[in-house]
Amino acid sequence: MANLVVSLVLAGIFALSVSKIVREKKKGVKCVGCPFSHASGKGGSCGCH
Amino acid sequence: MKIALAGNPNSGKTTLFNAITGRIEHVGNWAGVTVAKKEGSVKKNLNKTGVSMSVVDLPGAYSISPFTSEESITSRFVISENPDVIINIVDASNLSRSLFFTTQLLELGIPVVVALNKSDLLGKKRTTVDSERLSIELGCPVINTVSTKSRHNGLVELISETAERYGKKQLSPYRGPGANLFDGDSVDAADRDRFRFVNDLVSKIETRKNPSSKQNAQDIADRILADKWLGLPVFALVMWTVFAISQTYAGPFLADLFVGWIDSLYSLVEGLIDGKVSPILQSLLLDGIIGGVGAVVGFLPLIMVLFWLLALLEDSGYMARVALIMDRFFKKVGLSGKSIIPMIISTGCAIPGIMATRTIKNERQRRTTAMLTPFMPCGAKLPVIALFAGVFFKDAAWVGTAMYFTGIGIIIAGSLIVVRITGDRNARSYFIMELPEYRVPGLKRATLSMISRGKAFIIKAGTIILLCNAVVQVMQSFNWKLQIVPEGMENTSILAGLANPFAFLLIPLGFGVWQLAAAAITGFIAKENVVGTLAVVYGITNFIDTEELALVSGGADVASLLGITSVVALSYLVFNLFTPPCFAAIGAMNAEMNSRKWLWAGIGFQLSMGYTAAFLTYQIGTFITTGSPGSGFLPGLLFVSFLIGLIAYLMKRGEREPEVQLQMSL
Repeated sequence: MANLVVSLVLAGIFALSVSKIVREKKKGVKCVGCPFSHASGKGGSCGCH
Repeated sequence: MKIALAGNPNSGKTTLFNAITGRIEHVGNWAGVTVAKKEGSVKKNLNKTGVSMSVVDLPGAYSISPFTSEESITSRFVISENPDVIINIVDASNLSRSLFFTTQLLELGIPVVVALNKSDLLGKKRTTVDSERLSIELGCPVINTVSTKSRHNGLVELISETAERYGKKQLSPYRGPGANLFDGDSVDAADRDRFRFVNDLVSKIETRKNPSSKQNAQDIADRILADKWLGLPVFALVMWTVFAISQTYAGPFLADLFVGWIDSLYSLVEGLIDGKVSPILQSLLLDGIIGGVGAVVGFLPLIMVLFWLLALLEDSGYMARVALIMDRFFKKVGLSGKSIIPMIISTGCAIPGIMATRTIKNERQRRTTAMLTPFMPCGAKLPVIALFAGVFFKDAAWVGTAMYFTGIGIIIAGSLIVVRITGDRNARSYFIMELPEYRVPGLKRATLSMISRGKAFIIKAGTIILLCNAVVQVMQSFNWKLQIVPEGMENTSILAGLANPFAFLLIPLGFGVWQLAAAAITGFIAKENVVGTLAVVYGITNFIDTEELALVSGGADVASLLGITSVVALSYLVFNLFTPPCFAAIGAMNAEMNSRKWLWAGIGFQLSMGYTAAFLTYQIGTFITTGSPGSGFLPGLLFVSFLIGLIAYLMKRGEREPEVQLQMSL
């Protein structure tokens, strides 16, 4: 039972991470979490977008 | 309603854009920060009209005639995309230069509202501007604004006047003679006429009690900070102070508190699952995720303090002086004067730095700058610097400063080499940049910038770093037969199997062990991974001692666990900092260079420089400390000699006829 719970927790963490990366990539972000990725936004000066 | 924000560089467009949209775009007290347009919507508390207002922040321009690539974005937008209203941001403290562009915008026929920005500076300069008369003379509303203030900043009036002007006709007080844009003399004559009109206008509305010829405190400060000889040592002192505060004093104190929370989480989860779940799941959750990510995130307070101090420096106007100091060296080695701007941006992140190279017209200089820009230590490399500076060196501040100056040294050496290889070693470029006034940096702006960067750091740790650490943990837990690796036998794991061939190549650099090789390899995905992977492979949950309240005090244990000397640690740091950047930055290099040949040459060059610098650091350092060279000296020397010989051959082959090129960069 404990194994199942931990497996589900791990699966949830990985799913969240992957979905965040996919969402950012869909927005055109090339560098998820680059220090300017939030600051530059859509078409920003960061150039990551 | 579509509103365009247009004005001269460093007139405060992005600050005003942030203030009216609530966005947190990167701003800096120097020209050239914005190189692409940005969009947002006017905040509801400013927009009382009920009409949706979208705002486009455009790169700074001195003229509607495009001279640089940023200016062409601005002129193309205002001419072709028909904004409903243009908000022209005019630097109130520099009217004659700003109004030149204003008169050109008024000629377009699009309604214009002038935001007389930085109007708070007028009192300090004992200058008065009759904005009502200016409004009458220009035939458009003129609103006094101070976009850096949160209240009484004139923004409500600005937006309301902008809404008022929507759909109305715009007349121009001045009509240019219609110069032939392909004829330089004709354009010069038209510009002179326009300047005459603007100067007449300024003389009617502006009163200066301080003659501009009189030397003021700003000039005196520049005599020291931007001095030919003093400028560089002062810059070194400033950077040392920044690192001392962030990595020796305030940073570790905050980091210690923060790491305490991460340790508590680790202990809590460990208490909940210890002995109740499979060892693989337990190590994946505890060591791979909480430990690995926690080790990286533990450096967040140090990084945030550093980001905050750098934002203060940028806001004060000092970074523009740094550009001036470095320009002297850069133009001597064949780089564009504009190369310094991408490099300063790269101290935050290499990717926007590389993208900023697009403002450089000369193709060879642009590609060279894109290749060399990643040598400036970016934000992602800071945890790596903080780790090794803290664990292996008592006086942590000089390590970070030395890494910045090593980066600058490699850029200068690299440029000399590239110029020789490409042959146009006599290409010259002149850089003219307006120096902004020094000002007391805004704490709010610096704090917002720090929070923004900190948030991005956490997102990266929770996504890319987390997944990488999990993969590293799994690869370390299984061997090639997919059996669980017994404790102490990690060198039979998949990870060790993959990293060992690379580790062999790294013996002449002093760190030919699979753990350090694996960490260096994962660093190419994101540089913070070096810290995360070291945490996973060595089973370290944090690199900051929670009991000693000092990063350096807790260093001894981690140092002995890694099993390397200070010299090897320095060599490893140099290797990770000066070999190719992360894959995302390499992608940006590819996009800006627009040449596969240049891209691969760039990656090869970065690898060679990083390898050679690490080899020299290790071998010379070992010779000084022990009296004999380090392991793998002869094969390493042969390999480095081969790299140097190859570069020398390419340099000789690349010698061509001198080419003189003048690039005026305004």
